[in-house]
Amino acid sequence: MLVPLSWLKEYVDIKLSPEKLGERLTEVGLGTEKIIKTNDDVIFEFEITPNRPDLLSILGIAREIAAIENTKIKIPKLFENLKPKEKLPIKIETNASINPRFTGIIIDGITVKESPDWLKEKLIKTGQRPINNIVDITNYVMFEFGNPIHAFDYKKIKGSVMRVHQAKGAEKFTSVDGVTYHLPKGAVIISDSEKIIDLCGIKGGENSGTFENTKTIFIRVPVEIPVLIRRTATSLSLRSEASSIFERGVNAGGTVDALKRCVELVLREAGGQIASELFDIKKEDFLPWKLNLELERLNKILGISIGEREVLNLLQRLNLAPLKKTKDIIEVTIPTYRNDLKIEEDIIEEVARLYGYNKFPKTIPQGQIPTAQIPYLKDYGVEKKAKSILIASGFSEIYTYSLVSEKDLLENGLNPSKSLRVDNPVSREFEYLRTSLIPSLKKALIQNKPYFEKINLFELGKVYLGSSIDNALEIYYLSGITNEKNFYEVKGIIEKLFDDCGINEDPTKYIQIFDEGIFFELNFSDILSKINLSKKYKPIPKYPPIIEDLTLEVSEKITVRDIIEEIKKQSPLIRQVSLLDVFENSRTFHIIYQHKHRNLTNQEVSKIREKILETLNKKFKAKLKE
Amino acid sequence: MEEELIQIKNSAVSLILDARDKEELLDLKIRFLGRNGKFTLAIKELSKLPKEKRPEIGRLANEVKNTIEETISEKESRVTKQRFQELKEKIDTTIPGIRPPIGHLHPASQVLYDVVDVFKSLGFQTADGPEIETDYYNFTALNMPPNAPSRDTQATLYLDTRNSKVKPGEILLRTQTSSMQVRIMEKIKPPIRVIVPGKTYRVDDVDASHSFEFWQVEGFMVDKNVRLTDLFGTIDYVLRKLMGEKIKIKFATTNFSFVEPGVDTYIECTVCKGKGCSFCKMTGWSEIMPAGMIHPNVLKTAGYDPKKVSGFAFAIGLSRLVTLRYEMEDLRLLTNPDLRILEQF
Repeated sequence: MLVPLSWLKEYVDIKLSPEKLGERLTEVGLGTEKIIKTNDDVIFEFEITPNRPDLLSILGIAREIAAIENTKIKIPKLFENLKPKEKLPIKIETNASINPRFTGIIIDGITVKESPDWLKEKLIKTGQRPINNIVDITNYVMFEFGNPIHAFDYKKIKGSVMRVHQAKGAEKFTSVDGVTYHLPKGAVIISDSEKIIDLCGIKGGENSGTFENTKTIFIRVPVEIPVLIRRTATSLSLRSEASSIFERGVNAGGTVDALKRCVELVLREAGGQIASELFDIKKEDFLPWKLNLELERLNKILGISIGEREVLNLLQRLNLAPLKKTKDIIEVTIPTYRNDLKIEEDIIEEVARLYGYNKFPKTIPQGQIPTAQIPYLKDYGVEKKAKSILIASGFSEIYTYSLVSEKDLLENGLNPSKSLRVDNPVSREFEYLRTSLIPSLKKALIQNKPYFEKINLFELGKVYLGSSIDNALEIYYLSGITNEKNFYEVKGIIEKLFDDCGINEDPTKYIQIFDEGIFFELNFSDILSKINLSKKYKPIPKYPPIIEDLTLEVSEKITVRDIIEEIKKQSPLIRQVSLLDVFENSRTFHIIYQHKHRNLTNQEVSKIREKILETLNKKFKAKLKE
Repeated sequence: MEEELIQIKNSAVSLILDARDKEELLDLKIRFLGRNGKFTLAIKELSKLPKEKRPEIGRLANEVKNTIEETISEKESRVTKQRFQELKEKIDTTIPGIRPPIGHLHPASQVLYDVVDVFKSLGFQTADGPEIETDYYNFTALNMPPNAPSRDTQATLYLDTRNSKVKPGEILLRTQTSSMQVRIMEKIKPPIRVIVPGKTYRVDDVDASHSFEFWQVEGFMVDKNVRLTDLFGTIDYVLRKLMGEKIKIKFATTNFSFVEPGVDTYIECTVCKGKGCSFCKMTGWSEIMPAGMIHPNVLKTAGYDPKKVSGFAFAIGLSRLVTLRYEMEDLRLLTNPDLRILEQF
């Protein structure tokens, strides 16, 4: 929201420089995004939090400044002479459950024309486009007081009747700026005897707007129901200054004042005379409400001791009319424009923010450090261990998006119809939740190719499985890609990882060979569930081993794993068997024989060797190479 | 005998000083101090001396032995050093080293692990929760009922609910890791100190400081007497540990439905050192850690009595923390897998 300093100064004396004022306003909760200096003014750009509809008005901001500057605001003196000079007929039918307050009046004999310079200038500085004096005055008073106002062309209200009701759905409505909408069911609207003339709280109708030839107007200052306005505005994707105020909750006690201000300006700038009584149809009086503040609780929650006098002073500056009830209780009265103040904690924040967050001391929490294990616990130890093995092996970590495109899935043989999908993606590129890390790792490999010869990348991230929401499953995958290492090197890295995690599993099925290199994908959540980090020292062998290499001639169709397993079966004295070398159809195995409690003899070993050769010959037709 | 000992000493010292390597020194040691060494043999004569002379000569013998031993060890260390020098001179040591082909941990992981460690030192455990979340835990349980205008600040990605029992709009990609607050609180009783790092999603255009996917670290604590000053102190301690003692921090009031009072935390922009740049939208400050005292309605939703316990909650913008720490001017660098970026970390 853009706010000119000159306009603020009409209501409050400001001693602080614009920069200091901006800093203090940010500290108390009115985020000052930008301070723009122009030739003759300073424009503030504020970010208004959703809980403070009152700050969508100049007077609301002036009140905050007055609290900071410890001064009073100058509220414009209200025009009180509302006696009608004539009485034009109008029948208002409304319903408090959809329109809690309807304040209105008729003014006859006006002249619609261009607004005077002072008015146009103010609107331009707040980023508005001046239209004509009547529309501009309603906008001006909305910005000034914070109550949205709409002026109808009285003559266009057929049958002199205004009926507030809810749309059945699909009715057509053309707004004052000429756009046609199909109304959603439940939208609050006003109809005359023939047609819909207003989409309440959002936009007025083209068929009843104020244009050059308008002579008589009906001014309406309503209170709308936030949820109803919000639903309609969301469903039509249509937002206005008025709707953002109503959604957050308008000052229900302020409609008559805003109307008076509006009437005064209309009579002054457009002439005419009051032509009806002041209508104020409401379900209640919308009076200020009271809350109690316990001083002890205030200081307990804030952690500092702000004296009673200081608390009273701070609350006074915020117009909360503090009244000491008992030794420990202060009663405050909440003005109707502060409907964000509902509970004691809200008042505690009021005291704290005006006192100044940056004046608070800083403490470290006391109390016992919780030792019970929390639900959803995550142990980063295993993650760090796994990553350090990969990094030590030359892989670098990447972070990529979880959302991928249909093309990403299809190109990697993944089925989009079995992938979870976002209903409202930011673009088609980020429409599906990934079911594998392969698409982004492959892309990353290709992206790095122009600059690097050896590329080794990995990611530890979530994938999202399940063909529909009902069986959605989020799990962590640990995946990598390399164009440098061969299958056995990758397999070795995963073997090492499994070993360190106490997992006894062959990694082959997790490794894929493709034209550009090697890819692996591990279910890291599964690793976490299987992990066994308990370690036990095994004494180093006391007696020396006997080591020998056997070179066998054996068909290439027989796998090394089968041969090794067969060799191991032959004697418990075989401690280790490994493949040493492969040459054409011969393979050399390295065998370590060892006894735990004594020295082995050559005779013992040669017996085992014979048994090995006999079995391998029988099973695989393997022969010892001469 | 006295003269003999002095002579042994002199000849030993001069031979030791002339020795060229370790072997020669070992040899000399044996020649003088070994079982049949000159000194050892000479000392055997000591018993033949008259009693009154023995203490004096004994002292001298000790002195001689010490001198020989010291000279040997001094010379030995000099010879060793010299040998090191010689070996080094044989090669051109100005050639750059051959580095081990080790990979790189992503900067976001490095910062994340630091965050986890700092909070661990304050007694916070770490949790992990779902990104596919219900509307209830992401919004309603956090005092943001359906149609609350505060939901507008978090434009939400909803999941396709076709072929499921779920109604459209019920399941979403979490917009904030705060979704874990009630999930955890409803399962245990205070005292609680938890952080929850994780990915979050919002409908947002991608630019230098925005993305539809980003990382947060939610944190909260609930206990009998948690105060606003504890929140300020915790944020101050953590940010200084993570970003350095000297950073500038300021607090401001803000509104999030699930906290009251609400706090926003800014640190001086590291990219421009507070002068104002595009990264900090020319303000010189960067919003880093929204926070506040947990709203009584949230405590009640979790089954706690707000009169008996209080708590604070915060969310660290992890992606932003990483960019601020390493003075990266663009959030997109974090999801760019270019090794020229990764190799810097």
